[in-house]
Amino acid sequence: MSHYRHTILFVDDEPFFTEPLRLLLEAKGFNCVSFTDMSSAIDFLDQNDVSVLVSDIMMPSGDAFPGIDSSETGFHFVSMVRKEFPDVRIICLSVIGDQSKIHKLKRQGALYLRKGETPLDTAASLIESKATGVTSF
Amino acid sequence: MNEPQPATLKAENEQLKAELAQVKAATNQYLQNVAHQLTAPLGAIKWSIEALKDPRVPLSRKSKLLSSIYSQATILVHLIKNFALMSNLEADLELGQFREKPEPIDVMKLAINLANDFQPQASEQGLKILVDEVAFSNVFGSKRLAIEKNLVAQAISNVLENAVKYADSDGTIRVSAWSDDSHVGIVVESSGIPISDKERVNIFARGFRGAAARQKVAAGTGIGLYLASRVMTLHEGSIQLETSGRVSRFALIFPRKRLR
Repeated sequence: MSHYRHTILFVDDEPFFTEPLRLLLEAKGFNCVSFTDMSSAIDFLDQNDVSVLVSDIMMPSGDAFPGIDSSETGFHFVSMVRKEFPDVRIICLSVIGDQSKIHKLKRQGALYLRKGETPLDTAASLIESKATGVTSF
Repeated sequence: MNEPQPATLKAENEQLKAELAQVKAATNQYLQNVAHQLTAPLGAIKWSIEALKDPRVPLSRKSKLLSSIYSQATILVHLIKNFALMSNLEADLELGQFREKPEPIDVMKLAINLANDFQPQASEQGLKILVDEVAFSNVFGSKRLAIEKNLVAQAISNVLENAVKYADSDGTIRVSAWSDDSHVGIVVESSGIPISDKERVNIFARGFRGAAARQKVAAGTGIGLYLASRVMTLHEGSIQLETSGRVSRFALIFPRKRLR
């Protein structure tokens, strides 16, 4: 089954991390796009339909948002996407362990996955499910 | 002798509590950073292996995953060595137990080996690491440098790793040699994010990361240049930084008397 009509947007300043996930989703037929900072990702969201955003937390905010501390960028990004692009489903992929911050993300409707803990296939299936409402293994 | 007043003691107690809270917050932040630094490459390796094993991922895309595993393993080894070195140097700082056991090292060969180690990581950003063999021959000739090889290798690696992280894409990182009447040095030059005068003052301090560096690469331990500086002090040398616009030159300088 082809999922080319669904675009998955990856935002991570360490793109090698999401590359395997991207390869697997592309093999499943998704259109995948990657950026390394929040500003570039917002530009892309402004111009394109995105089904699922997969975002890091600790990453550069980029030129358009110079005042944001890079350890907090993901939280600002999720709030902005929730407000400006409410149809985009959000998955956060990071290593933060602060439960109050994770709950804040969850309250905004984001799914939180810890880097290195979720098997690749499970992560890909979760994204697929968020994008299409259907899961295939 | 005047007894301290209860009000004074209370104020001191409050101040100590506030300082302790600050130290705890800084320690937590540091540990979170360390966890991020270690988890990210390990997680990337794990996922890359899973993707390699997955028959749905085309074979043509798999060689990139192998390169990525190699780069991440290099980063991990480098990080763990840094943490071990940090712990050893801190122990030395407290106990003064460091005893130098230098051996004569071919510095050009060391530079080439380290450049090769970091080249896969650099290539991912379109960067090329060049070792200026002519400059090394001119400065060192057939002579070797009496140094603690592992420590100096770690110091050079830390400077190289920063150059790879913060250099402009598609540029060149040049590793060369330098000398004057009383010193010889290894120089790492690259073009990347500018370093302000204020940052230059603090750049070798433990835990320091410049604003632009944090903006370009969010996670970092801030100990790489501090460790390099400590290693150079142990060798009766120094580490110096010269900048000109976007160009930075880090020089690891040793006394000439170490030439053998």
